[in-house]
Amino acid sequence: MYKKLSAVLVGFISSLLLSFFVSSASAEEIRSMKLWAREQAAGPAPHTAALIIAQTLNELGLDISVNAVPWPQMADQVWYKRLDEDTWDLTMWQMVSRPERSDPDEFTYNLFHSSTADKGYNFIGYVDPAFDALAEKQRVTMDPAARKVLIDKAQQHLADAAANAYLVHPLLNFAYDNSQFKDGSAVEQAGLGIKNIWTYLGIEPINGNQDLVAQSLDEIQAINPFFISGGTDSWITEIVWDRLLRIGPDGTPQPWAAESFNWVNEQTIDVTLRAGMSWHDGKPVTVDDVIFSFEAPMNAEMVPMYSPFVKNIESMESKGNNVVRFNLKSSNAAFLTSSLAKINLVPKHYYEPILQALEGTGNNAETIIEEKRIGSGPFKFVDWRQREQVILERNSDHFNPPKISRWIMKEIPNVEASLGQFRKGEVNFLTDYKGDPAVLANIVEEDGDITLVKSIDVGFQYMAMNHRRAPFDDVNFRRAVSLAIDRDVMVNAAWAGNAVKAGSHVSPALTYYHKDGITEYETGVELAKKILADAGYTVKNGRLHYPEGVAEKH
Amino acid sequence: MFDFWSIIRRFLYMIFVLWVVATIIFFMFRLMPGSPLTAFIGTTFTDEQHDLLVKRFGLDKSLFEQYTLFLFNTLKGDFGLSFTYNKPVIDMIVEALPNSIILTLFSLIIAYIFGVIAGAYLAWKRDTLIEGISIPIVLTTRSAPEFWLGMIALAFFSFQLDIFPSGGTSAAGVIYETTLSKLTSLHFYYHLILPSLVLALYLQGLPLLLMRSNMLEVMQEDFVTMSKMKGLSSWRIVIYHAARNALLPVATAFTLGVGFAFGGNVVIETVFSWPGLGRLLVFAVSSSDYPLAQGAFIFLTAILIIMNFLADLMYLFLDPRVSYKTKN
Repeated sequence: MYKKLSAVLVGFISSLLLSFFVSSASAEEIRSMKLWAREQAAGPAPHTAALIIAQTLNELGLDISVNAVPWPQMADQVWYKRLDEDTWDLTMWQMVSRPERSDPDEFTYNLFHSSTADKGYNFIGYVDPAFDALAEKQRVTMDPAARKVLIDKAQQHLADAAANAYLVHPLLNFAYDNSQFKDGSAVEQAGLGIKNIWTYLGIEPINGNQDLVAQSLDEIQAINPFFISGGTDSWITEIVWDRLLRIGPDGTPQPWAAESFNWVNEQTIDVTLRAGMSWHDGKPVTVDDVIFSFEAPMNAEMVPMYSPFVKNIESMESKGNNVVRFNLKSSNAAFLTSSLAKINLVPKHYYEPILQALEGTGNNAETIIEEKRIGSGPFKFVDWRQREQVILERNSDHFNPPKISRWIMKEIPNVEASLGQFRKGEVNFLTDYKGDPAVLANIVEEDGDITLVKSIDVGFQYMAMNHRRAPFDDVNFRRAVSLAIDRDVMVNAAWAGNAVKAGSHVSPALTYYHKDGITEYETGVELAKKILADAGYTVKNGRLHYPEGVAEKH
Repeated sequence: MFDFWSIIRRFLYMIFVLWVVATIIFFMFRLMPGSPLTAFIGTTFTDEQHDLLVKRFGLDKSLFEQYTLFLFNTLKGDFGLSFTYNKPVIDMIVEALPNSIILTLFSLIIAYIFGVIAGAYLAWKRDTLIEGISIPIVLTTRSAPEFWLGMIALAFFSFQLDIFPSGGTSAAGVIYETTLSKLTSLHFYYHLILPSLVLALYLQGLPLLLMRSNMLEVMQEDFVTMSKMKGLSSWRIVIYHAARNALLPVATAFTLGVGFAFGGNVVIETVFSWPGLGRLLVFAVSSSDYPLAQGAFIFLTAILIIMNFLADLMYLFLDPRVSYKTKN
């Protein structure tokens, strides 16, 4: 009896010693980590998502706490200090929609190409030569069908590598007063919703209404064709100044101020300027103006923000008959979207003297504060009172004149007042709603004369992992972390149903390039646990440990 | 008479305070976490653009160099260019200032006229039912958050009853050709009523309570008793004798209030979409726009200090007991 007991005791003690010895010698515990997120007030949905994700990941044996900080602090750590020793591990992040992002090139290349890892958009430090090759190839592939195959491959490649934990594409909410506009006359643009130039051109005022009155929660900083100052500002510049091409409702570039374009070869494109166009001051739009508009941003000191969009242009020449030839440095499939549909056409006779006067003053074109703002777009600039409103009026001489006579944008800094004014009819187009979608839905129901349009965003919300640091340098670990998160819970609990699941960087809004089925994947904590166990990760005392022999390098 | 040198000394003291404030503001904004450029991330930015910006705004220089440059430029009255607007800071302040001054002055005048009269009346009605009801109401409006009062007023008077417009200085699409044409337009004042009444409701507590307590004190004084003995009407005693003496501290509060008027009112301006200096300040701070925030704060400090200085000088004339003569 006594002997038996002592044998058990000895066995127990020795096994205890053994397990201690083994764990200390070969498997290291995964450190406690922070999940960076912005404070709740800055975005309730991603904040809630972060809390849910941290809880889910802790079920795997990790120790993750949410670190909610204001944007400048978060950007400082995640973006600028990405190469520091003591940097970030996990962060909530988002990419927002912009017209030029309706071409998949920007996200495919900039977010993941190794050349942007140290300072550019690839802050996660994803480096994979095989992917680099894909990203470079899609850029120079002109045939859409062939390019589609490459973009599909890129999406699958990133999904297999679990480069990011994509969460959702939010739904955009816009609404207009259908007692002042014909119901259904707003035009939806892929990934951007109904707040776009096609709506401003096509929306039909009824019942004696003449004006479209939009609102913005953000302040307008500048109305300047050489300055990308803020989101709201771009809503104005893009309708006052024309571009050679415009991104159409389907998300592809189509002729606009250019009547047509023709690829002479992969590095040469001929663009024919539409005949009979005139500037808002009555002078005709010429080929010289077009060349000037693209030459001005080539001076990066003078027009820094637009300079990347003309970087690929080697030279331009007038070929007569309103034709401009662009010679490119390298072939680029996104050139139509990111250059021809991006650069504002400006009158040379008005802007050349202004830019010349700025030479050598130390100030650049972004500081231009002008009395007149002369473009050739469908709307003419009339008046701007800062922190109050911007007034534009219809350009009846335009080749595609709008149906409304004035486009007015009120700056209203608070959401409730914006909604109140919208219900009262003082604002008739709700262009910037960042409040609770459920509140808006209720109001639509109560009011009876509001048309609500929801569309899927080109942008996306995700959790980024720092590939430079263990354990995120291990694809199995990243896969487990990403697949542990239930996307239905994200959509329904964090985003309150106002989003769709995301599976890649190409939104379902971009129907052509979005890879079918990429949003359909199994998730769950059990699945994640299995992936981790298969890869050699172990759980001891409730904490996840690295596979044997793997240690943190820092 | 006051001494010339003591005024010079006060003036130098004023400059010193301004320098201290400018220095604190300069370092405060730079000690905030995050580079000011982070406010721009998310836009299409390349490295070269980033470096250009850093150079352009002098952020590549050492902190000490930035500081000396800043002091030198401030002395010249040059607050620099706003990071986000790319516009001279002083222009932006001058643009926003009239709206803020009008809103606050209008409210101050309403609040002080009402406050002084009501305060005097309530002092006279000491220990009556009227006082018992009024004082809690005054205290409630004084302590209620402005944004709450504003939202309630907006929801009720504008969205429900549709008596007043809901924000801004004009309806959508209305153009004021000049500042003067704005200030002389009825349309502008129609938009001013609701925000200034809400602000006045919040401001009236101070003059009212101040006036009332002064009155209660003054009415214990001998000359009031004397007036009563002379058989003067109570109305006459309140207006001509007691109130005049009780007004002095209220006048001081008013002067300082005018100084603060230049700062605008962040809360009311946001609720009523009023384009004043308060909103400019909030924007500057939240977007780490150093030059704009520095310029605006230094400008405000200067105004406040100057107003204080003037108030002190004014006292010489209002109250002969105050003297700046150095006592040797």
